[in-house]
Amino acid sequence: MPAALFVLALILPFIVREFWVHVLNEILILGLFALSFNMIFGYMGQLSFGHAAYYGVGAYTTGLLMVKANWPLFVTLPISMVTAGICALILGYFCVRLRGIYFAILTMAFGQLVFYIIFQWYSFTGGDNGLQGINPPAWLFKTNPYYFFTLVVVTIGAIILWFISESPFGYTMRTIRDNTERTEFIGINVQRYMLINFVIAGMFAGLAGAIWGPFNRSVAPDLCSWQHSGGPVFMAILGGPHYFLGPMLGSVIYTLLNAFVTGYTEYWPLVSGTVIIIVVLLLPGGVLGVYKEKFGHLKSKESTTLEHGGS
Amino acid sequence: MEFSFIFSQFLSGLTYGMILFLVASGLSLIFGVMNILNFAHATLWLIGAYFCYSFWYLMQGYNFALWVSIPLAGFACAAVGWVTEIVLIKHIYKRELHEQLLITYALALIFADLIKIVWGPTDRLIARPPAIQKPVFIFGAPFDSYFIFVILAGFAVALGLWWFLKYTRYGHIVKAAVFSREMVGALGIPIPKIYTWVFTLGIFIAGFAGGVQAPIGSVNFGMDIAIIIQAFCVVVIGGFGSLLGTLVGAIIVGEVFSFAILYWPAGAMVLIFVITAAILIIRPWGLFGTPMRT
Repeated sequence: MPAALFVLALILPFIVREFWVHVLNEILILGLFALSFNMIFGYMGQLSFGHAAYYGVGAYTTGLLMVKANWPLFVTLPISMVTAGICALILGYFCVRLRGIYFAILTMAFGQLVFYIIFQWYSFTGGDNGLQGINPPAWLFKTNPYYFFTLVVVTIGAIILWFISESPFGYTMRTIRDNTERTEFIGINVQRYMLINFVIAGMFAGLAGAIWGPFNRSVAPDLCSWQHSGGPVFMAILGGPHYFLGPMLGSVIYTLLNAFVTGYTEYWPLVSGTVIIIVVLLLPGGVLGVYKEKFGHLKSKESTTLEHGGS
Repeated sequence: MEFSFIFSQFLSGLTYGMILFLVASGLSLIFGVMNILNFAHATLWLIGAYFCYSFWYLMQGYNFALWVSIPLAGFACAAVGWVTEIVLIKHIYKRELHEQLLITYALALIFADLIKIVWGPTDRLIARPPAIQKPVFIFGAPFDSYFIFVILAGFAVALGLWWFLKYTRYGHIVKAAVFSREMVGALGIPIPKIYTWVFTLGIFIAGFAGGVQAPIGSVNFGMDIAIIIQAFCVVVIGGFGSLLGTLVGAIIVGEVFSFAILYWPAGAMVLIFVITAAILIIRPWGLFGTPMRT
């Protein structure tokens, strides 16, 4: 199934108009962002409402290095992962001490902290003007080449995340989600494992942010704001947080809807808000969750729940 | 630095703190009783400010227009809150944390767009009645006379809520529901009805706060986005569900902001988030809260 999707993603740009290639590109980047968020939410069972901070740090790292130091994109991508990871390590160190609503609020407070630092630090980040002129190298400059570049990076990122989620480490995460106390009793250092996972999630959010900057040719502090943190939360829940590719499916639906709706009306928040309410009330478990319940023939390996996920 | 200057800065901080208290007290009440963290709270506060503007506009020319519009804004918002609770919030009390957060987040998006549809994107300005046009002088330093009203209104609501919770039957029920909703239900008190009215009361205070905010400057689209996060900070610092904590938290945030902006304008907001994060790490239930039942 994922292989078929990959082939479809390879063929689509030759069929659809340029506008939709742009949309596809956005789907992939936000999809990787949502996948990284789901490492914390779907696998570890904690709700981060400040995940956009790491996305923003990644975007700004690449943006600043490319605009101010003229570094090539291929060098700035791994550096962005490192800076976002360091940021996640420092902030996550405190977050993993909390659970539930407190975890959500602390991640949000830290997210806003990062947002205000970027927003206020005019001399370095350009403040609310953002950074303009983040141009990808010449051979990636056109829409299609950059799309394929994104496709390769996002696919590699997703495969790495998939292997992490299916590794013993990934199963430890599920154990922590399902019963934190027992996990502690069997001698696992829960906080350390949660922190490692938090850093991994931050790094891949940073990677997604890093490819966003050159795609959009600019970055703005809004990328880190709490409104932007709501995006991956909704994508994960829309697609199905208990399936590895659920958040990516959520990104497909959400971003396509955005592209359609903004063509007709400026009231996108009104539409998206209504969709969020309908999905949360009527589709518990997301699209994949409901699909599985109705038809029940999704391969059990794709599920992240312990009962179905055994190999 | 002169004393008069410091004092007027203190009063400005207190004014800001009172606005935050008015927003955060409803937020804290709703969270304390129903465990719902209402992302849309500040958006309803902003709707209150717009309501106040509209009522004032209809009664323009009368000196009392503003003073009548402020409580009317509260009632109009309470109506919106009541309908929201009946139609939507009622159905999510038993849902999981992330679903509740997403629903109120979605409500914030929807209400913000409704503001755009009803009032348009232009800034709205209320012309102040003569009584509050001139500044007052406190120890020789000029001070916006309306701010005095804001501070008094804040303390009045704090006192009113305290009296309500301490001395009325319904206040006792609300306090008991914070402690154990099962027990309150077992005593034959209709919990769903209580929830509806607590939510409505919280939104009433938010709307009233919006009305109080309206004459301070212009009312404009997007004001809610910064306020909601600061109101969260207030509630976190003071402790969820604690009225005194919310008051103290609001004054702390208002004063920190007011003085930090003198010395390090860029860092004022950052400082508030650092304080909030520190409280969450050291004492997640806040200065005056009690560790939460889970």
